[in-house]
This record gives sequence, C-alpha cells and structure tokens, in this order.
Amino acid sequence: MTKISFTINGKQVSTDVEGRTLLVDLIRDELRLTGTHVGCDTSQCGCCTIELNGDMVKSCAMLAAQADGATITTIEGLAKGDVLHPVQQAFTECHGLQCGFCTPGMIMASVGILKANPNPSDDDIVKGLEGNLCRCTGYVNIIKSVKRAAELMKA
Amino acid sequence: MQPSRREDLRLIQGQGRYAADWNLPGQLYAAVLRSPHAAARIRAIDTAAALAAPGVKAVLTCADVERAGYKSIAGGIATKDRSGQPMKKPFYPVLARDHVAHVGQAVAFVVADSTLAAQDAVELIAVDYEELTSVVTFADAVAPGAPRVHDEIEGNVAFVHEHGDAAATDAAFARARHVTKLTVDSQRLVCNPMEPRACLASYDAAAGRFTLHAPSQGLIGARSHIEQITGLSAKSVDLIVEDVGGSFGIRGTPYPEYFLAMLAAKELGRPVKWVGSRADTFLSDYHGRALSLTGEVALDEAGNFLAFRWSDTIDLGAYAGPFGAFIGTQNISITSHGVYKVPAVHVRSVLAYTNTTPISAYRGAGRPDIAYAIERLVDQAAHEHGFDPVALRQRNFIAPAQMPYKTATGPIYDSGDFPAVFAHALAAADHAGFSGRRAQSAARGRLRGIGFASYLEAAAAGVFNKDQTAARVGSDGVITIHCMAGGSGQGHETTFVGVFAATLGVPAATVQYRASDPAYDRLVGNGTGGSRTAAGQGSAFKALALALIEKATPLAAARLGTEAVTYAAGTFSGGGRSITLTELARALPPDADGNHPLDCNAETSSPATYPNGCHVAEVEIDPETGVAEVVRYTAVDDLGNVLQPVLVEGQVHGGVVQGVGQVFGEHAVYDRESGQFLTASFMDYPMPRAGWLKGSFTRESHPVPTATNLMGAKGVGESGCSGSLPALMNALMDAVRPAGVADLQMPVTPGVLWRTLNDAARKAA
Amino acid sequence: MYAFEYLRAGSVAEAGALLAKNPEAKLLAGGQTFIPTLKARLAQPSHVIDIGRIAELRGITVSGATVTIGAMTRHAEVAASAEVRAAIPALAALALEIGDQQVRNRGTLGGSVANNDPAADYPSAVLGLNATVITSRREIAADDYFQGMFSTALEDGEIIKAIRFPCPKRAAYCKFHHPASGYAMAGAFVADTGAGVRVAITGAGASGVFRWKAAETALAKSFSAAALDGLAVDEGTCIADLHAGADYRAHLAGVMTRRAVQKITG
Repeated sequence: MTKISFTINGKQVSTDVEGRTLLVDLIRDELRLTGTHVGCDTSQCGCCTIELNGDMVKSCAMLAAQADGATITTIEGLAKGDVLHPVQQAFTECHGLQCGFCTPGMIMASVGILKANPNPSDDDIVKGLEGNLCRCTGYVNIIKSVKRAAELMKA
Repeated sequence: MQPSRREDLRLIQGQGRYAADWNLPGQLYAAVLRSPHAAARIRAIDTAAALAAPGVKAVLTCADVERAGYKSIAGGIATKDRSGQPMKKPFYPVLARDHVAHVGQAVAFVVADSTLAAQDAVELIAVDYEELTSVVTFADAVAPGAPRVHDEIEGNVAFVHEHGDAAATDAAFARARHVTKLTVDSQRLVCNPMEPRACLASYDAAAGRFTLHAPSQGLIGARSHIEQITGLSAKSVDLIVEDVGGSFGIRGTPYPEYFLAMLAAKELGRPVKWVGSRADTFLSDYHGRALSLTGEVALDEAGNFLAFRWSDTIDLGAYAGPFGAFIGTQNISITSHGVYKVPAVHVRSVLAYTNTTPISAYRGAGRPDIAYAIERLVDQAAHEHGFDPVALRQRNFIAPAQMPYKTATGPIYDSGDFPAVFAHALAAADHAGFSGRRAQSAARGRLRGIGFASYLEAAAAGVFNKDQTAARVGSDGVITIHCMAGGSGQGHETTFVGVFAATLGVPAATVQYRASDPAYDRLVGNGTGGSRTAAGQGSAFKALALALIEKATPLAAARLGTEAVTYAAGTFSGGGRSITLTELARALPPDADGNHPLDCNAETSSPATYPNGCHVAEVEIDPETGVAEVVRYTAVDDLGNVLQPVLVEGQVHGGVVQGVGQVFGEHAVYDRESGQFLTASFMDYPMPRAGWLKGSFTRESHPVPTATNLMGAKGVGESGCSGSLPALMNALMDAVRPAGVADLQMPVTPGVLWRTLNDAARKAA
Repeated sequence: MYAFEYLRAGSVAEAGALLAKNPEAKLLAGGQTFIPTLKARLAQPSHVIDIGRIAELRGITVSGATVTIGAMTRHAEVAASAEVRAAIPALAALALEIGDQQVRNRGTLGGSVANNDPAADYPSAVLGLNATVITSRREIAADDYFQGMFSTALEDGEIIKAIRFPCPKRAAYCKFHHPASGYAMAGAFVADTGAGVRVAITGAGASGVFRWKAAETALAKSFSAAALDGLAVDEGTCIADLHAGADYRAHLAGVMTRRAVQKITG
C-alpha cells in the first residue's frame, strides 16, 4: 500500500492505495465522486477526464499513486456554488448532451480546449475532442456548445 | 440561462445516477469468466482454486443456475413459417451449460470482496474445453455440411419467413420491361452505448424482495423477462432505473449478469455489484444489424415500379436474442415498399445461427436496413436503365391524395406527403447547385457525389396495446407523473412534463416526472423503443392531463359553489370566483389511505405511425488516400407534430451520425477460421468521432401530422439511421461511378475506397 | 490489472538501483500505453517504478544547433514550447498529432521512444532528424537505436534520460491516423538536415520505424514532391492487418512523404 494525499475539488484527501488502484477507481469508489465515468478500458472514450494540476487527463490511464500531491478538479467541482461553469451552461443551452454519460468528460475536455485557445475554430474543437466519444449527439451540438462557451467566457 | 432540458442540471454537474453509481453497505463485487472460444464443448469446470482465492465469496456456474431453476433467456418470434414450423430456438442459458457458442459467452460468475479480487479469481477457474469448428458468417453457417452451432439445430437455420404475395410478384416480374437486382449488406455492429452495463442487486430476506439497479429502456419488459427466466414473481423485484447512458435498442431486456447478481445476493445475504467493462460491452451486449438484403425491382417501359422481390439473410448470432428474430422478419417486411406505389411485393428471409454474439434491436432494427436497400436499388435501377433518379422517384411516390394508403402486403400508411418532402429536401440541399460544387471539387482533385434517400419507417407500435400514466398529487400541490418508459437520453422528463403541463396550462415547474419509482403504482405500458414515446406516452400524458381536469372540475365546482365551472390555464372559474388547480390540490385532504382526491390514471392506445423524410448527402473523396468526407448534409423529415424541436433535432443528429459510423467505419469482424472477435475494442472498432460529419448540417421539419394518436406525432429516434445509410451510400456511389466503380458495401473505410478505386482504374487501363 | 508494488524513484540512479534489485520491475513514465497494457493484463510486473517526477529527466534545452528534450517531458509541453516551435517546428507539430489532448498531457517522449511501438509518432522524428538517445549509460545514435518492432538498443536497466535533436534546415511530418485508435497507420518525417535528406516512416513498417532510403536519395538530388514520382515503399516490408493491407500502408507512406515534402516546399 502507498500513502498518498491530494486536493480534490478543494478538499484535502489522504488515503492508502494499492499499487494497481486506478485514479478513477479511487475517485469513484472511495471518494464516491461518481460524476467521473468509465466508458472504456483502452483510454479512448474520455468519459473519465479530470483536471489534474491544471491539465485535462484521463483518470483511467493513471495510477492513484501518481496523483500524490496533485490538485484535482472533477465535474463535481467545476461549478462555483450555484453558478455553473460557462461550459456547463453552454452544454445545456445548446443541447450538447443527451444520455449524459460522456458529458462530464466532454465538459472537462472542452474546458481544456478553451483554456488553450479562447477562440477555437470548428477544426480546433474537433481536434480538442479527439479523445472523447459520444454515441448520442453526433457531436453537432457539442461543437456548438464549445463555441457558445467561448462566447460566454468572453462576456 | 435557459437549460434545454429538465434533466440537464444534474447531468452537467456529475450528479446523474447511472447503474454503476449506486452503492449499498456491505456490497460484494462480481466479475465474469467469458468463453475464449467461438465453439467448444465444456468437459468440466474446476472452481476450487478460485474459491480458495483471497476475498472470494462465491463462484457461480451453470450448476448453480440450474439449481436455482433458471430457464432459457427468452427470444424469438411466435409465428410459424409457411410449412407450419415454429422458429427453432436453442436453450440460451444464463451461464454456459455443456457448450459455448460464441466468444464472450458467460461461463462463470465470481463474487468477492473487491472487483480486483474477483477479477484475479476469474483467472483461477479451470475450464476443460474441447474446441470445435465454428461458423461466423451466414453463408458459412448454411453451407452444406457446416458445423452445427447447436447440436439440435441441423443446418443452423432457425426460421424461414415469408411476407407478401410470391405469385403476384413473380407475375409482375414476368411482364417487366426492366429488372434490376442488387445485394447490399448491413454489417454486424456493436451498439456501444457509452455506459457499459452494470448492476447492483440486493435481497431483503424478510420481505422476500429484490432490488435491482440496472440500465434499462423498458421496465415492464425487463421485469417480465426476469419473471420468465428466474421464475420469481415480477412483483417481488423492484427495478430502479434513474439515468441510463444510452440504450439504442439493446437494453430493453435484462442480461445474464443481472440474474446472477440477484442469485448471489440472495445466497450470500449481501448486495452484489457488477460493473462491466467496454470489453464486456463488445463481447456480450447484443449486437446489431448483421443482415444482407437482395432486392429486385421490376419496372415497366415508363419506369413505373411493378414489383419488389426481397431475399434476405439474417445472422442471428449464437442464440435468439430478445428482438433478434423480429428484425429480419416483421421489421424489414412492414416497410418493404418504402414510399412507393408497388403493386406486388414479396419478402423471403432466412434466419440462421452463427458462432457470434446474439443480435437484437439496434436503432431502427431492420427499418434502416430495408430503407437503405430500397434506395440503393432505386438508384441502381435508374442508373442501369437510363432513368433520372429524381424523376424515377417522383413517378413512383405514393401521392398524398392516396392516403390512407394500403400497401400491397397489408400495412396502411395513414398520412404523408412524400413528393412534397422530397421537393423540400432537394431545395434545402441546393440540388440544383450540385454540378457547380462537383466541378469545384474536381478542380481540387476530389471526387464529389450527391445522394438522396426517401425513407419511410414504421414507428410507435408497442409490445403492449396500451400505455398507462398516473398522476399523484401532493399536499403541496405539486403533481408527480409516472409511466413505464425508461429514458436514456431522449429527454423524457422534459417532453412528458411539457405535454402534461401544457395540456393543463400550468407552469412545468409545478410538475415532476418519475419513471420506474417502485413506491408508486405498477402501470402497464411500453418501454422506450421503436421511436414511440412521443406518440405513445406523449398521448397518454395528454390524456392524463385531461383526466385530471375532468376529475378536478366537480371538486372545484363544489368549492366555487356553482355548477358552471370553466377551466383555463390552471384556474377554475365560475360564479365570479376562481380557484387555481394548485390551490384546489392544497385544499383537498388525502383519504384514509393517503391518496389525494385528484390522483388519477389514464391510458391510450397508439398504433403504428409512418415517419418519413428525405435526406441528401454530399461526400468528397480524396482518391489518393481513399478518405471520404461528408461535406453537406440535409435532412427534411416528416415526424408528424414535433413536441420539442431542439430535442428532436438532437435525435436526428445522433441517428445520422450513427449512420455515418456504419457507412464509414463500424464493423464487428470475426475471424473466419478461429471465430475470434477481431474488432472488440475502441482500438480496432472505429467509432464516429467529432469531425466525422464536418460539413454543414441542415435540418428542416415537414410535418404531416398523424391522426392516429393524440399528439399527432409520428416519432423520431431511429429516422436518422434510415435516412443516412442510403443517402450517404448513394452519394458515395455517385462520386465513384464515373471512375468505373460498380458497387460499394459498408463500411466504406479509406482502405476499402482506395482499393476499389484502384481496382476500377486497373480494369479501365 | 495484476497486483504489483508501486515505487517512486527520486533520481535516475535510484531508478537504476530499483531496476537492478527487481528484475521483474517495469518503469512507468507517462503511462499512456503502459497503464492500458496493465489493465488488459498483458503485463505482470512485480514492481512499477514511477520515474515521471525525476527532475533531471524533464525540460527542454536549446543550445546552438540542437534541441535536447528530457525523457519525461510531456507531448503537450513539446507541442507548446516556443523554443521547439522556433528551432524545429516539425517536432512541435508532430507532438501535437500524438493521441489526444489528455494523452498529450501525460505521455512522454521517453516513454514513446523506449517502447518503439510501430505506430508511435516520435520514433519517426528521432530517426528522421538523426537524433541521439542519451541514456543512463551512453549515447546511442538513432540509426543504431531502433531494432525492430517493440525492440531497441536499450539494455536491461538502461534508462533514457533525454534525446538530442539536431536542428534541421527544414522538416515536416505528415500522418495518416488509424480510423479507430488514432495511431499512425502511416507517418512520414522528412528532414533536410543540411548534411542530407532523411525520410523516416512510422506506422507502416513490419519492423517498426524505418528510413526510406530511395526517397532520401531522390530528395537529396532534387528536394521536391516530383522527385518522388515512381518511387514506392516496398510493401513486402509493411504491416498488413484488418484495417490496411501492406500495399495500402506502403502507398500511404508514399503519399505522406510527398505531402510532407509539399508542406516544406509550400
């Protein structure tokens, strides 16, 4: 077992983990933050995307032990109290979600896109979403949502 | 800020509750041992080492399932073929009995203290397999002397289904001036909802009740299957389904793991949780499509269709999945005329077992396949016999004045204006400007093609002949409404509450929606599927609102002291006074059983509807790499009345892009020799990603409301697949025909397109 | 995943010592290939030694005509680095083509090169730019380093510390993405180094990354797409699988090479 501590959504956590514990499993099963989803085994779908030390990463492709000392934000920590993050707001305004399973990962990836580039083109958005799969929306309204979020963030 | 849907606020904040998000104190964790072989006899299963492994609490095998009295997983069709034979169905065990019939079939179920411990123990189970020869394609399965998928089914054929009039069809072909024949495959797909299957089962021994959390799109269907297979009364199982991460047809009925978790929970006295992986999804969720359609059209001199003849082959997979046999029989037959006047039609379908994952319904379940086949065939006929594909369609459309139109084989189209929808689509797609766009593409070395497809679906008909709804009124005046259709992204909360609240004329905020709350009445009604909930449950919620007004009116009259009461916008008025529905609800005390006097139920019956439309696709091909891009897409649909335009548009986007996936990449490929499943992960199975539909997407509605349900809705959900498969494939064919390509089959991957163009060039040289 | 013990090394020396002590141990860099491999139970190490935080393995240094990138430098850092973009823009562009944004935020240069995955992108830049692999023991020229699919000159216990890339006169990378995985089905890194032309092909070769010498010779004579006319990668050396036949991969390698040249010549 390895002792680790990190900050998640503003809260300090210390725990012991087995070497093979994935970060996403720690987040979901132990911390019961179930908004971060697992949609595949091969690091292709992006449902498990979280922010770790300012970067969007797939929490299914990290050992929990690698997160020692990190600062993490999950989908549950994105809104500031009752105020939605502009990307969350844009996703609902533009109907950028249907079943909602990919949505936490899509939203986190979109936050990453806009952080790197506040004025993304359609091509930039498509490239930014290459690590995320959605089976419901055909991505049409997801792309629209990211553009809308860019507007909201400028306002 | 205006959320598009009521369900969004929880889902965008990570507060959804999908099956794997539920936990119970003391829960155990399960993992499944799956067959590594496509076909093998099981000589013995030794679980001793697994049972002795750390943390392991139980290892269930077929012996345990038989001890529990579990029956065969249900599937198939009830009708008989023309020789009076019922469908041949193998016993479909919850855990493999004496043989395995596909890679991924469940063999054992391990329950342990942790998921990791369960997974470790799975590897310790020793199964003595005697490997057998497998067959993974329809053609191989029905070949003379083919190995049997199941000993008891000689020749592997489950059923031969016929529909229509063979003699009339033959006669029409005999007098035809032109005949065109074309075979198109609709390849085997993995449905891949983004949520892998999962379940959590618990058992209350004192009450003799199970609670099961699992993703489901149909609550009654799920419970009746549980009853049929486990022998438990459906009333003793509370099925809790809140959020579901996509269904697309394959999650209407329960899967083996759910019964196993229930069995283990009862035997161990602790809740049992199983969370499937994507590999589990690929290997053991029902697959979709897997059929091949050979169509012939007979035409007279002028181009009038005289007859369609269909000869279809359906690969059922290893067992009869819940809807597997419906797809290639009823579902492809009912719309086998498409939008055309066809005096004679005959459909013959042969269904066979193979050593692959069983199929079931996947978004359209046969209707996109037949729509695809019809529109490829019509284009091919135009091309072969020198007809303009636009004019040929226009000549043969059923005219609006002919509605209701009884097709040659029986189904009655109640409404529709196919010529107008077609004209609308061609205008919206700027069909007239295509030749200019093609020339521009050519100047850049690109091949451009346009394809259009007039599709028609049959939707809304359910398994049950009625949909019931219920309203429960709280002492605070808030009304909670219920039905039995499980949602998985369609936006039921928004649509159903919208219908109910709008009919009552009250703000939607005063109404709550719950599906599947076991604390309330067990209603009767269909699950979600067949693009039916707007027509089915929508109508039933409209009826519910009307029933509530009717029930409330005399009670309001009593309060107002007058008989002459009118109701409008949530308020009863009469005698110069008024009382709102909410005030009335708050003022009325519940009865001795806690029921509110305004509580009410309603039910409606909604027959089949015929959504239709015309989709127009333009593709551009880079002949050097074989990469094809969708550069313009136009969808004009007659979905009847549209209840929530934004949500309907989202359904069309999703359906179209699932079609894009099938056309350009998706394919469940099995190795012909070994029977191994070669594309069983996202590393090998191309899923459509952002950018697969890059060009402009125009969607317009051309509603011709139906009178067959209260909402006038025909339904959406599956129409996108029915329109996109033929539109995209016809566009690809249009792009490559000038290069000498005679045929394309899905999936048209870059490699396939490059090779096809190369071969055509070589032949021409 | 099989059980293993997680260890974190604070230095290259410590990592080396841990490897020496535990013969069944494996190094963990960014983990973007290794962790999915572990999850699929395709590897069963006794120990996993995390070298991702070793400071001496990180960073980008431009000195004279070379760019030296620490092995644990992440793809996103290379893609975004102003120094790399100025000195070897093709290398930054290649880094941006790897995986997806999430993978680029974790995956490292060293991890990619150590594995010599035949579909990885970085090996083509290392070989195409005639880079030097700096290890805990020695320096290895790119031509000597890649030794076939998943096989390199690295010895047991040898750890990549950095890679030194000579700045070319001009270079470009073109990649054809695998439709499912996004990996390179064929990628061509073309560099006019000043001392000659190098063309490295990844994704296509059955022995991993390789130099397309015929193209190099032709481009050395005349650096233009037209110089490649009539040349073809030998399909006999290419991977054939479900997704692409050897002929298609060989063809794509040629197309990507030509497009890379066109990117350079404009």
